[in-house]
Amino acid sequence: MTNVIQSPAKRPPLAVAALLARWVLGGLFIYLGLSKVLHGPEFLTFVRQQLKVTSPFLSGLIATTGPWLEVLYGLLLVTGIARDAAAVVARWWLGAVFIYMGMNKALPHPEAFLKLVRQYDIVSSPVWLNSIGAALPWFEVYCGVLLLVGLGVRGAALNLVAMLMPFTLVVLKRALAIAAASGIPFCTVKFDCGCGAGEVLICHKLVENSVLLLLSAWLLTGRGRQLCLRFSLSRRKDQTGKQTHGQSDPATVA
Amino acid sequence: MKAVLLEALLVAALGAALAFAANALSPHGLELTKNYFPGTQRASPPPAGLPQPPGVANPQTNSPLELLATRLRENGLQLADSNQVTHMYRDPRREQDGVIFIDARDEEHYRAAHIPGAYHFDRFHPENYLTNVVSVCLTAEQIVFYCNGGDCDDSEHAAIMLRDSIGIPKEKVFVYGGGITEWATNGLPIEAGARNSGQLTNLGSSAASGKATEAK
Repeated sequence: MTNVIQSPAKRPPLAVAALLARWVLGGLFIYLGLSKVLHGPEFLTFVRQQLKVTSPFLSGLIATTGPWLEVLYGLLLVTGIARDAAAVVARWWLGAVFIYMGMNKALPHPEAFLKLVRQYDIVSSPVWLNSIGAALPWFEVYCGVLLLVGLGVRGAALNLVAMLMPFTLVVLKRALAIAAASGIPFCTVKFDCGCGAGEVLICHKLVENSVLLLLSAWLLTGRGRQLCLRFSLSRRKDQTGKQTHGQSDPATVA
Repeated sequence: MKAVLLEALLVAALGAALAFAANALSPHGLELTKNYFPGTQRASPPPAGLPQPPGVANPQTNSPLELLATRLRENGLQLADSNQVTHMYRDPRREQDGVIFIDARDEEHYRAAHIPGAYHFDRFHPENYLTNVVSVCLTAEQIVFYCNGGDCDDSEHAAIMLRDSIGIPKEKVFVYGGGITEWATNGLPIEAGARNSGQLTNLGSSAASGKATEAK
């Protein structure tokens, strides 16, 4: 079995990059958690209105514990404690986020998402525009389900990386255009980017997308395979005849 | 790495097929070949409500209202301002559907608040509304389309779609640029629920601001 991770020449830079990525990811989670703690009432409103949690007890519970769980998760990532469990949580969390965001776009008003996609002027043909508006939300739901149940995880994660990078760039481009046209500070730009969570502050959105991107990239390395239905769609035998999933050993990565 | 790429391609292909199937099966699904945005394309404006800085506006471009009027003219539509729309609303011909208002927003927004007596036409689901609006559109002398106002262009696209599909003379068709937001701000009556439900509100809190606007 060829394993690039085990190559002594390549291990240090990869390991250093993975460590830095984990620290950045942990830091972003701590930032997101603390910003929600500091803006408690706004987050509670978000839970009630956007997440549609109508029960006062449940919405209060989510609003008070959710941010601290994010901080705790960030600390786990930074310190490297319980990495395997953290990776499984990452997979579930990423899956749940994409299912939620996809469903928000697909139902009950996909035309609202279509209008938002049109604002980016990415395509001019109605067929292409409609195809993006019609398929993208369901594709996100599909990738979310794959991650949640643990089926073809790395394939789904690579698709998410491939989607998140251009999406983040077009959202950034539009935010820059709005900031330039309106003459307001960049981080105060607030608009519905069509990301599935309504109007958001652009800087917060960029942090969120960075988190999603890093989590997807983390799963791409082979982490989070515990409690999976089937981590890889392909199965192969290594040189010892032992059946294994995919190519790289996740224990050696990050 | 090759295995991951192949897996990603397989996931993407299967996902695309499932996504289009889900859209086709969904009662809210989009029609892929339909042009939901007929007419000339507009430049993407900043979202409504954002302040325009002094001196930033390009001297070659006009105000948003002038830009809207120009675009509507290019599409063979007429822009109606607040005064015109108020006159049309008070026109006695409105009682006999000689002058009609068409709300081009979705069901949820229409039921929350619309201009009293306005017909509903959501262009994303025309099959649900055509039977109600076609006959009145053909007999009406003036038809006013509106949506939320601001950067909302649903009224414009709905007007083009209806005009072109059932052959309404373009002289009859108006688009109220200010939309329901301006209407409410001016303190004019608002109806909730179904058409002619009688659930009228006057938005008393905004009536004062409406009068103030008129005073200017």
